[in-house]
Amino acid sequence: MGVTVSTRVQRWPIARPWIGTGARLVLACVWLYAGASKVTDLAGSGRAVNAYQVMPYDLAKVIGAALPFVEIALGFLLLAGLATRLAAAVSAVLLVVFIAGIVAAWARGLSIDCGCFGGGGELAAGQSPSYLPEIQRDLGFLTLAGFLVVFPRTRLAIDSWLNEPEER
Amino acid sequence: MSKRADQKQASRVVSDQLARERLRQRGLWTAVIAVSALVLAGLIGWAVYAGQSSGNRAAPPGVATGDDSGIVIGDGPVTVDLYADFICPACQAYEAATRSTLDQLLAAKKITLVFHPVAFLDRTTSTKYSTRAASAAACASKGGRFSEYVNALFDNQPPEGGAGLSDDDLIRIGGEVGLVDPDFAQCVRDGEYRGWVEHVTETASERKVTGTPTIHVNGEEIGRTAEALNDSVVAAAP
Repeated sequence: MGVTVSTRVQRWPIARPWIGTGARLVLACVWLYAGASKVTDLAGSGRAVNAYQVMPYDLAKVIGAALPFVEIALGFLLLAGLATRLAAAVSAVLLVVFIAGIVAAWARGLSIDCGCFGGGGELAAGQSPSYLPEIQRDLGFLTLAGFLVVFPRTRLAIDSWLNEPEER
Repeated sequence: MSKRADQKQASRVVSDQLARERLRQRGLWTAVIAVSALVLAGLIGWAVYAGQSSGNRAAPPGVATGDDSGIVIGDGPVTVDLYADFICPACQAYEAATRSTLDQLLAAKKITLVFHPVAFLDRTTSTKYSTRAASAAACASKGGRFSEYVNALFDNQPPEGGAGLSDDDLIRIGGEVGLVDPDFAQCVRDGEYRGWVEHVTETASERKVTGTPTIHVNGEEIGRTAEALNDSVVAAAP
């Protein structure tokens, strides 16, 4: 019993940075994919933002055009492990905004596609919104981001290389 | 001994402090660089989008007065707005289901139909068929055969996920409904009304149209059936 606990205690500090690396890479892929799927249709991205009906169309167009590039930049930061805590914190904020947007759209009875991975927010005829799975998926990503905010030190990251001399 | 040890300890404290300070500085700079990268990325997106919007928004003949966002067919007291994308299968189905009802209402001069050829679904084809087909429909309006061409486009609708119809096909279909003027072919090849289609699409989005087909009768959204169309037109008739 005592042995099990002590090995567990020893394992956690070793495993944690590797779990962090996994979380970082998964989140990086999510952002890169989300950004890439929107970047080829910036007008559609603006329409998707506008479909939430929370801001004037002209502002939605600007946000819609900027968002995919920010997502790709976040993806690269996380992929490289550069400023991991900051990138994870920005990810978390964005995801909270996305979740709030979907909840608000659901609560107001709007019939839209979240536009999370491309598209102009339009649903095909006869297609009903899938708000709950979209929220659950974003909550999963939010968990990864939260983990990285709390434990930003991960393996295979530029951050750890930058901090290396002082760690010795 | 104590003096030397004190000195040693003091210098260690100083060097530790310096190391911490360097680390703090490094962290600060990393954060500054990361934030700048994110802000810069956003600005690039904005700039790219601003560069993409085509300046030429010239509307084709036959366009609705006021906001230029659709082609007008007929002349009746009740306004029916139809937002449709030429690649959307549900639009084809709707068009097929309501064609006779629409024709009757138009012939009886009960409605003014405003057809908005939106390009919501450009991503479903590799060649932005939605935009090209809508632009070709505008060319057909210029050639005076808009509704014939719209019907022909739905009859020849390509599947989603492919390349859509080529410009040659769009021109050939035009020829089948009497658009034989070389002007029409040139207009289709040049994508003369692409900018206008962008305007139509944006206007639809501004009006909270988030799917196709969407039908408004005097500004109110109605169901996607021929009965709903007929009933609402009767109800809205003066």
